Amino acid sequence: MAAADDMDEVVKEFLVESHSNLDQLDRDLIALEKDPRSHEILANVFRTIHTIKGSCGFLGYGRLESVAHVGENLLSRLRDGRLGLNTEMTSALLAMVDAVRKMLASIEESGGDGEEDYAALIARLNALQTSLVPESEVAPSVPSEPGDAAAKADRSGRRRARRASDEAPPAAPATSAEAPNLFDDPEGIGLDLGSERGSTLVERTVRVDVGLLDKLMNLAGELVLARNQILQFSISQHDAGFIATSQRLNLITTELQEGVMKTRMQPIGNIWSKFPRVVRDLALFCGKQIRIEMEGRDTELDKTIIEAIRDPLTHLVRNAVDHGIEAPEVRRAAGKPAEGRLFMRAFHEGGQVNIKISDDGGGIDPERVKQRALERGLVTAEQAGRLSERELLSLIFLPGFSTASKVTSLSGRGVGMDVVRTNVEKIGGAVDVQSLLGQGTIINIKIPLTLAIIPALIVTSGGERYAIPQVSLLELVRLDGEQACSGIEMIHGAPVYRLRGNLLPLVYLDRELAGGEADGGTPAPRRGGGETLNIVVLRADDRQFGLVVEGVSDTEEIVVKPLGQQLKGISVFAGATIMGDGRVSLILDVVGIAQRGHVVSAARDRALAEEAVTIDDGHAERQTLLVLASADGRRMAVSLSMVARLEEFPRDAVERAGRQHVVQYRGEILPLIHLADVLDGCPSPATDSNEPLRVVVYTEAGRSVGLVVDRILDIVEDTVTLQRGVSRRGVLGSAVIQHHVTELLDVPRIIRAVDATFFDNSAAA
Amino acid sequence: MTEGPPGGQVVRALVIDDSSAMRTLLRRTLRELGFDVGEAKHGLEGLACLRGGEMPAIVLVDWNMPEMGGLEFVRAVRQDEALKGLVVMMVTTESGASQVEAALSAGANEYLMKPFTKDALVEKLELLGVEHR
Repeated sequence: MAAADDMDEVVKEFLVESHSNLDQLDRDLIALEKDPRSHEILANVFRTIHTIKGSCGFLGYGRLESVAHVGENLLSRLRDGRLGLNTEMTSALLAMVDAVRKMLASIEESGGDGEEDYAALIARLNALQTSLVPESEVAPSVPSEPGDAAAKADRSGRRRARRASDEAPPAAPATSAEAPNLFDDPEGIGLDLGSERGSTLVERTVRVDVGLLDKLMNLAGELVLARNQILQFSISQHDAGFIATSQRLNLITTELQEGVMKTRMQPIGNIWSKFPRVVRDLALFCGKQIRIEMEGRDTELDKTIIEAIRDPLTHLVRNAVDHGIEAPEVRRAAGKPAEGRLFMRAFHEGGQVNIKISDDGGGIDPERVKQRALERGLVTAEQAGRLSERELLSLIFLPGFSTASKVTSLSGRGVGMDVVRTNVEKIGGAVDVQSLLGQGTIINIKIPLTLAIIPALIVTSGGERYAIPQVSLLELVRLDGEQACSGIEMIHGAPVYRLRGNLLPLVYLDRELAGGEADGGTPAPRRGGGETLNIVVLRADDRQFGLVVEGVSDTEEIVVKPLGQQLKGISVFAGATIMGDGRVSLILDVVGIAQRGHVVSAARDRALAEEAVTIDDGHAERQTLLVLASADGRRMAVSLSMVARLEEFPRDAVERAGRQHVVQYRGEILPLIHLADVLDGCPSPATDSNEPLRVVVYTEAGRSVGLVVDRILDIVEDTVTLQRGVSRRGVLGSAVIQHHVTELLDVPRIIRAVDATFFDNSAAA
Repeated sequence: MTEGPPGGQVVRALVIDDSSAMRTLLRRTLRELGFDVGEAKHGLEGLACLRGGEMPAIVLVDWNMPEMGGLEFVRAVRQDEALKGLVVMMVTTESGASQVEAALSAGANEYLMKPFTKDALVEKLELLGVEHR
């Protein structure tokens, strides 16, 4: 046929077109399940496969052609009404779509449609052709109310009547591809075919390479800078002509920048379109019936933001199917319709994009959340008691709430709600959850329209200006004179400020930027007593900290520019911006600074609870303690300040290494210590119990050891009056905690009794 | 709609197919044969093209398209006095004898089955008396 590189163009067209059609095909097949008689959809589906098959012959894709051929046959019968669609057929057709996608990917990669053998799929599709299922069999989403069933029957009756009167297939709305069409039509055909035909007859869109869009964006930014400088000049100019022209330039530049930003906007439907299929497959797998409804597909977001929320949204949707919506029997027993409803809605409001994901499932039980959080040591009992119901629900966002061992294959490994929140906050958004037990859950996500312009607070440090994104900003604290000295306290060698009773760890910006190395150490001596101290209270991950700066300026809307190659690796900077006077300021990465200042620990080894505040007042100490019980009911307690995690291991996970019991933990070997072995008079735990082992993990300088305990009772923050009685090995003393006599264990001693060198490379406990 | 040298040359061939890959393929091939090629995505668009400009030397139309399929397009063309004498060739994979018959009785001049070689296309053009390079 045509010359070689002409064929390349054809192949490219073929790939682009087919991908877009297949996405629509996924959606159509699922819509078809709910409305199996829809001739329109059937005709569309048939045509897509037919088109793909048609091109295969020219391009030499034999495998693809044979798969498409079989699919086409099946679809032809369905379209002609000789077969009725059922779940099995839909699944087979979806499998065919996946196979086609695979082959398209292979074509893209290597030019050929791959080596895989699709004989099984072909046989399956063939077999279905002769299944002769009566037309009355419909997809399993049975209408719950009799009213629904009547309406459905009425609709299909009408459709049948309409079909009878048509010769050719009724007009179907033009398939609206999700991505802009390649049809370049600058002048328009000048058709007036009547608006009742639908809106997308003449596509007025162009496909543009993303790299080019980025380039335009940068150029627009440069233009802004040049415009700013010209405006500065024009202030000192008196030439009316020049002033007028620079004003005009000003207006045009603003509009151009806005226009360029608009080019990056994409409808959220682009990532939503896959969800109906995801939900369908997942629901089938779980044995649940779920209907997904989506509203606001056209809501537009910046392309980078869309990419960033793709995974979090997918996780939330899968979560709703997997955990949110109950099985049909459970629902019926609760008086709900067997089919669960998942509703997604996107809309613009208040300069942001809102996404609501709601389900009518079982809801989240705040009590269970509280228990789980307590178990995992994420809150103390006292804190938990103070939380409102909504705040309790928010606990699910804490890192460590869902442990890796509990991940199901469905919701995905390692994507907990904390990761969802992190990802959303990374792009300057926020997420929260509302729920009514037994009725359902609503997840609200708010994200900015664009990352390109953000409101930021300008601060100075070391004579330079820096920008802090306002989304992380909580409040500003100014300490004058005497307060500046006395307001800062030192706890364990780290500077903190007491803000309304809560301890705020401090990070000194000038130190961090001057390349303050690993250890925090003492802060740089303040220049003269009594200077004003500005503390910017920021939120990073889940914690708050205070950034000490020299001065605080205004809040401005800044245009975010990416960092150059040399600076990209520096974790404290998130980008750069050009100020009004044309000079560059760096944008601080709040999380990066927090990590560097050791205010937020690296994600995985998150320490438990709040920092223990120790007021040494004789024997009365206020501590955070983990209260345990031994098999015979005796109570013990350990200080929580050194505990890394609370874990559970199945008993058969315990192995022996020499004389030591160990268990595999996070890729390492964790030695286990049984209290019975170390403490006098402590009964051995029952060895035939089926309950999992509860282990309190201590980590020091990269090494860990686990203390096996019988029962964990509670986490208490209390003033402890220690009675040093008859000294027992491994026990510091006794105290009355929660109205019970409790022995306070000397954990370092216990650990050293088993491993003398455990604390050697660190500050001794 | 008009492709070709500026100065508005007459469209000599019109390709009607809902698949952009197919249109690209046909466009390339016809260009090599010396045609200026216009395109439309379905029958309705094709009719609009025809009524808006000069008659092409040949129309290649697909069978299966949204809005208005090939068969309907051919019937509409044959019922239109203004389009009398238009040469229409159906290009499609629908291969059954009944389809071929339906196409020809609706008024198509010729029928070309996909996939076809350039030579096969040329053969048909000659059968139809359409000039080409």
